[in-house]
Amino acid sequence: MTDTTARDADLRPVDPATGKPLGPMETPGYYPRYHTLDQQKFWDAKTREVILDRVNNVPPIRFFTPEQARLLEAVCARVLPQDDRDDAHKIPIVPQIDKRLYEDKGDGYRYEDMPPDREAFILGLQAIEQMAQERFGRGFLDLRTRAQEELLKALHDAEPWGAHDIWERMPVHRFFMLLVKDCAENYYAHPYAWDEIGFGGPAYPRAYMRLERGQPEPWEVHERRYEWEPPNASLSGEYESVAGQEEQYGSPGQGGTH
Amino acid sequence: MSSPLFGKFRSPDGKPHMLGAMQTLDVPMHRYADGEEVDYAIVGTGAGGGVLAQRLARAGFRVVTFDAGPFWDTERDWVSDEKGSHQLYWTNRRVTGGSHPLALGENNSGQGVGGSTVHWASFTPRLHPSDFHIHSLDGVGVDWPLDYADVRPYYELMELELPVSGPAYFPWGDPHGYPYGAHPMGGVGDALIRGCTALGIPVSAGGPVGILEGSRADRPHCIYRGFCIQGCKVGAKASTLITHVPDAIANGAEIRANCMVSRVALGSNRRVNGVFYFGPDGRELFQKAKAVVIAGYSIETPRLLLNSACDGFENGLANSSDTVGRYLMAQAGNVVLGRFDQPVRMYKAPPAHALTEEFYETDPKRDFARGFAIQTVGPLPISFAKQMMSAKGAWGWGLRRLLMDYNHWASFGLLGEILPHAENRVQLADEKDQFGLPVAKVTFNLGDNDKKLIDFGKNKVMEVMHAAGAEEVVQEARYAHLVGAARMGNDPQTSVVDRFGRTHDIANLFICDGSIMPTQGSANPGLTVMSLAARIADYLIIQGNAIFASDKRDMQTSPIRYDLSPPDTWGHGMPRPVNHLVS
Ligand SMILES: Cc1cc2nc3c(=O)[nH]c(=O)nc-3n(C[C@H](O)[C@H](O)[C@H](O)COP(=O)(O)OP(=O)(O)OC[C@H]3O[C@@H](n4cnc5c(N)ncnc54)[C@H](O)[C@@H]3O)c2cc1C
Ligand code: SF4
Repeated sequence: MTDTTARDADLRPVDPATGKPLGPMETPGYYPRYHTLDQQKFWDAKTREVILDRVNNVPPIRFFTPEQARLLEAVCARVLPQDDRDDAHKIPIVPQIDKRLYEDKGDGYRYEDMPPDREAFILGLQAIEQMAQERFGRGFLDLRTRAQEELLKALHDAEPWGAHDIWERMPVHRFFMLLVKDCAENYYAHPYAWDEIGFGGPAYPRAYMRLERGQPEPWEVHERRYEWEPPNASLSGEYESVAGQEEQYGSPGQGGTH
Repeated sequence: MSSPLFGKFRSPDGKPHMLGAMQTLDVPMHRYADGEEVDYAIVGTGAGGGVLAQRLARAGFRVVTFDAGPFWDTERDWVSDEKGSHQLYWTNRRVTGGSHPLALGENNSGQGVGGSTVHWASFTPRLHPSDFHIHSLDGVGVDWPLDYADVRPYYELMELELPVSGPAYFPWGDPHGYPYGAHPMGGVGDALIRGCTALGIPVSAGGPVGILEGSRADRPHCIYRGFCIQGCKVGAKASTLITHVPDAIANGAEIRANCMVSRVALGSNRRVNGVFYFGPDGRELFQKAKAVVIAGYSIETPRLLLNSACDGFENGLANSSDTVGRYLMAQAGNVVLGRFDQPVRMYKAPPAHALTEEFYETDPKRDFARGFAIQTVGPLPISFAKQMMSAKGAWGWGLRRLLMDYNHWASFGLLGEILPHAENRVQLADEKDQFGLPVAKVTFNLGDNDKKLIDFGKNKVMEVMHAAGAEEVVQEARYAHLVGAARMGNDPQTSVVDRFGRTHDIANLFICDGSIMPTQGSANPGLTVMSLAARIADYLIIQGNAIFASDKRDMQTSPIRYDLSPPDTWGHGMPRPVNHLVS
């Protein structure tokens, strides 16, 4: 049985060459010293305004209660972990989710078996807390990382061990997808994440010119690869499809492509 | 600020309305007075509404066109940023369900002048001749009340009006060539060509796509920045916002942005007499019109008809056939992703730049009817992360690791024909939107043929990705491009509109958007929607006052008008053999 009290010693990804944890650092990933924000003078005015606002102004919490916000912080810290980032370069996720729900914005549509997003988040947080109490006898916030991951992995696998009354009102796999989607939408909207993955970012009016062979623009950097492993004990480093669909066609992609 | 390409930018506030980096909207717009009757009230300024308004205005009709969203100033309103572009999509409340519920929101339709063409990828293939007769040929779906030959001249017009870039010879369907040169390849196009070539599959490189490869008039060429789906700030990618709406305004049309049409009003003698709409300040207003055209996309068009139910049309306006909302279609749009050892950087170049239609037609060797296309797509990081959630169940550190590899992935899109089913439909839900109007409930289920087609198609796309040299290949299910839900046909019992877009039930009510398509083929629908709009326009123009004064239906096909194109479009581009066009 998992020890539910102690904090994990180190939650950072490991460099297999040295066996040492990586970070905390400014820019994880394979593009050291690459900063999309350095290019801001080449962006159009509106784009610069929107992106700098995202970087500089973290919205206040207005939709969630302080307790809910703390719980969601702990959840998001496992859904999109940032333990390898230094404090100055952690990407705010919960304040952006709060802003979206406070303004009641989003994709607008809901699945017929789902409540509206606001309700879905509140119910989901309740269920997570109930499941933590049920199995570990304490709140999610007080769980050891590994136990937090076990709980979230149960949602991913659509095999929740508790809060069945809530999961009857809201399919667990849809809530899990909503949660990951909201985290990803905010993490990968941030220039720090672009630096991590080597994305060029805005390119109007300057343009991209090197279309061939994945070459970087003169102002981008070459990839510097090394082996990278998720923290040894983490449950979220593996890939298994999100369970709970009747069949493979049932979980449509949500991003517009073509 | 100063820009290496365009010189000094104008400051956004109080300055000319920009449509792309160079084009300005500098003609004053006519405004009809309150209470003034117009000839046509058009609902929607997208692919269908934009082209129709432009032509009717050019022909001298008095036109007001409504759009529920803003009149975009591309410099002031748009950004080169994924998250920041959410405003382009229709994000008012909707409900989605069925056994294979469609993702809506950013995955489906636009809101604002230009409609979904603002954020389309701008792939512009034509339908094949076979698409118009799939019931006769394959015993599935339904035949169109039109032939390919009826639409072909309009395809040729639209390919010049957007204009379309592509290869000089396009071998599939009715072989043809494109008026403007093909685009260079990005990393994804290279991969598609590599994979197809290895397997002996012909591929079309550099188009057909409604994106300029060289500058024309006030529109700069593509700068390969990859943000097409976020709206092209450059103005290189065609959208009715920049191609047709300015000409509509120049010819006297009024565009009423931020105005949500709530109901089409039925007057006496089973004729409509205008539309109710919520103005920008939220007040409900009425616009009197001699005829009404709905062009609101395959969800909002049926919703508006259903919301316009009234005495005599209790089940929805023009719905005596109980067909409004039914036979809604989406194409199978599975995304196949492959990881390559060498970097790809798929965010560069327009997502749409190469495709193959080699598997488009029914093949008796397969166990399903109809077929599919394979196209390049280029998800930006957020979309890619969502695809990895679906394709690999990624979350946590696993998601971080995959995204750190973003630059090593390429992605292809399947575009497969899903057949029309009566039970795939738009209905009204119990819940209301911000105007108090019942919202659309969309129900979608795959049929047997659809599932077989998707299985075969996605495996074929994965095979091509492997052949291109990818080490790992994964895929996510996805559906795209809603059409249908107010289909055209000859039989008033089984269709909503006739072959000129006129509702069978009401002589002065028309539909002019993707909703009227009876089947969809495996071509992206935009060019077809625009071509049908130009054809409907020719009909309305030649009918003239008869539309306003009489219930008589003249089913005679009208001659094609080659004098209604926006300036400097028709007759430009590469000369091609167009003998049948010389009139
Ligand atoms: C991400 C993405 C990529 C795409 N890529 C391609 C592509 O590469 N090639 C292609 O051919 N197609 C593509 N499409 C699809 C294509 O854009 C649409 O099929 C096409 O624009 C539909 O035209 P339409 O006239 O039916 O509706 P739209 O173009 O959506 O226009 C409808 C307009 O009506 C307005 N409206 C609706 N209801 C009301 C109302 N009640 N009152 C006032 N206004 C109203 C809306 O605001 C909207 O502006 C893509 C779509 C998406 C989402
Ligand atoms: S890639 Fe080309 S067409 Fe697409 S948004 Fe950029 S400049 Fe416009």
